[in-house]
Amino acid sequence: MNNPVLRASGLTRDFGPLRAVDGVGFSLGEGELLTVFGPNGAGKTTLLRILSGGLQPTEGVVSLRGLEQKSGDPEWYRRVGFLSHQSFIYGHLTLDENLRFFGRLFGLKDLSTRVPDRLEQVGLASRAGSPARTLSRGMRQRLALARSLLHDPEFVLLDEPYTGLDAHAASVLREVLTTLKDGRRTVVLVTHNISQGLELADRVAVQVRGRFVLLQDRAEVEVENFERTYRQRVEEAG
Amino acid sequence: MSNRLRSLGVVLGFLGVLLVLVLHWQVFYWVATERSMGVVQRIFYIHVPAAWVAFMAFGIVALCGAGYLWLKDDRLDQAALSAAEGGMLFTTIVLLTGPLWGKVAWGVWWEWELRLTLTLLLWFIYLGYFLVRKSTENPQKGKRFAAVLGIVGALDIPLIHISVKWFRSLHPEPVVMNPDGPTAPPDMLITLFTGVAAFTCLFFCFFLLRYGLERMRHALVLREAGRPGGPVANGVAS
Amino acid sequence: MDYLRQVGALVWKDLVVELRTRERVAAMGAFTVLVGILFSFAIDPSVVQPQDIASGLIWMTVIFGGMLGLGRTFHLEEDDGAFQCVLLSPIPRDALFLGKVIANFILLTVVTALVFVVFALFFDLGFGDHPLALAAVVLLGVLGFVAVGTLFSAMSARTTMGETLLPILVFPLLIPVVIYGATATSSLLQGLPVSEVDGNIRMLAAFALVALASGAGLFRFVVEE
Repeated sequence: MNNPVLRASGLTRDFGPLRAVDGVGFSLGEGELLTVFGPNGAGKTTLLRILSGGLQPTEGVVSLRGLEQKSGDPEWYRRVGFLSHQSFIYGHLTLDENLRFFGRLFGLKDLSTRVPDRLEQVGLASRAGSPARTLSRGMRQRLALARSLLHDPEFVLLDEPYTGLDAHAASVLREVLTTLKDGRRTVVLVTHNISQGLELADRVAVQVRGRFVLLQDRAEVEVENFERTYRQRVEEAG
Repeated sequence: MSNRLRSLGVVLGFLGVLLVLVLHWQVFYWVATERSMGVVQRIFYIHVPAAWVAFMAFGIVALCGAGYLWLKDDRLDQAALSAAEGGMLFTTIVLLTGPLWGKVAWGVWWEWELRLTLTLLLWFIYLGYFLVRKSTENPQKGKRFAAVLGIVGALDIPLIHISVKWFRSLHPEPVVMNPDGPTAPPDMLITLFTGVAAFTCLFFCFFLLRYGLERMRHALVLREAGRPGGPVANGVAS
Repeated sequence: MDYLRQVGALVWKDLVVELRTRERVAAMGAFTVLVGILFSFAIDPSVVQPQDIASGLIWMTVIFGGMLGLGRTFHLEEDDGAFQCVLLSPIPRDALFLGKVIANFILLTVVTALVFVVFALFFDLGFGDHPLALAAVVLLGVLGFVAVGTLFSAMSARTTMGETLLPILVFPLLIPVVIYGATATSSLLQGLPVSEVDGNIRMLAAFALVALASGAGLFRFVVEE
């Protein structure tokens, strides 16, 4: 691994007596993509929300190029993009307005060119003026993708982005994700789909009951056996 | 630590009960009957100290709440909760003794008199405090919400006080806090201060024991969740 | 500069959504007109003249009607989780609070104006001799109400009790607004000079200031997870 830009250590999050994330630590180099696999309820989404800055860890720290994450710190949010299986879109605003709204929150200046460009990129330029609630599930997800990358974040978090997508949306997503791997961005992808998860990964982790039970470089992973390894790890830990 | 607090609580409890006995002797046998209001004025020695404790308790709730938001230390929240429960108890005493006085002194059970009205509103703020704590799935959120309500309530109470005072004041003029020095006869003042001391001791007895209980409960919840408790565990074991 | 742009974006978004759905304005507007009708039947005109108690009725209508709309402030946001995304943007939490307060303030000002029109129509009320002072009283009172209401509606929307909790939390805190707002309105409707309500206006301003400052400072503890 080259010089790590993202460091997470000892991340823990309690919900009352329940410990959803338990002592997770890892670091990622510039341009690397980490895929986190795990069964339902393993705390993957909680981990992503902590990394995004939307959820405070009970213990532990995250830092990105030396910037330590603090709740409500605008500088952190400028650098992070988050795409979830929920689309996070205002149904009563048009596609164009949705992106402009978020663009203004991010303080972006060139919205009149940036927004059409991004809509073009996800193949929604023709729908720019229609209300977002009229979109199909796949289209909404593409709009959400455009929104989460609108401010060119250097740290991108993807939470089950393939869930419920039609073939077209999935291929757009894959295309955009491939362009994300331009060597400058650091990405964390959460999924339980093994083939999609391994496709782009540089590092691979398995999370069970809040803990990382496996964390290794993609190069060390035997692709054919990974599914079996994964099940083994989940059973051992569960 | 928690053992020492508990012993202190027990000591304060004995002291408080002793003072309450003294107070009753003073109220029933010793202190002179006030001329204009008659025998009913004697309820004053219960009513006023209870009101003092009710408002002091809310001060503790607000301060501990602010401390909790600042430091995120569960102990501060537990202290705030303990103070709120004690405060609610004494607020209820004020609200029960007020109408008893009012019926004789003013001829009506309820009079929209300044301090009584204020206490009634305080009771409802306390009620909201307990409701909001209980109504979140994630207990930490409920604690934060309660702390926010405590702080806003504490900031608002002076404004409520000014406004209600401005609206209407039927109460006898303050006799203790008179700027020219106390105007009541010394035996009345001594009785009143016995009452204040007794209720303050009882409040802190309740507060400390309740706090110790909350610490133990916290440790128990953690233990049941399979995590060794924090600093309280020894309090349970010994 | 960015701060104002962010606040502006939020206000713009809330108002555009409201213009398109008309959900809250319609609910609050219908509520106020209906309350006016109910009051006119609930009051026995041979005992009290509606004009005598109009200022109290007006303020109660504004507050009850306002609770309807304020309670929905964050429900609209939760529908598709979009608010989570707003929280992941670099907008300071106090700007977020101020944006929400301004949008709610505009909505509630519209509704309050409607309340006055309705009461003027139904009860033959005039607006007194000092419409500017009346406007100051109403706007400051509504601002304080909205600031408290917005903070606690963010809170109640995140509880399991939801909107039912909101009045319990907010009403005790609103006493100063009701007292100073209703008495000043009453004085002005009776045609008393502005000097009579000078103190009221100052207290309403103080309340609004305290509510805005504490809301802006504490909002992050309400929305953070």
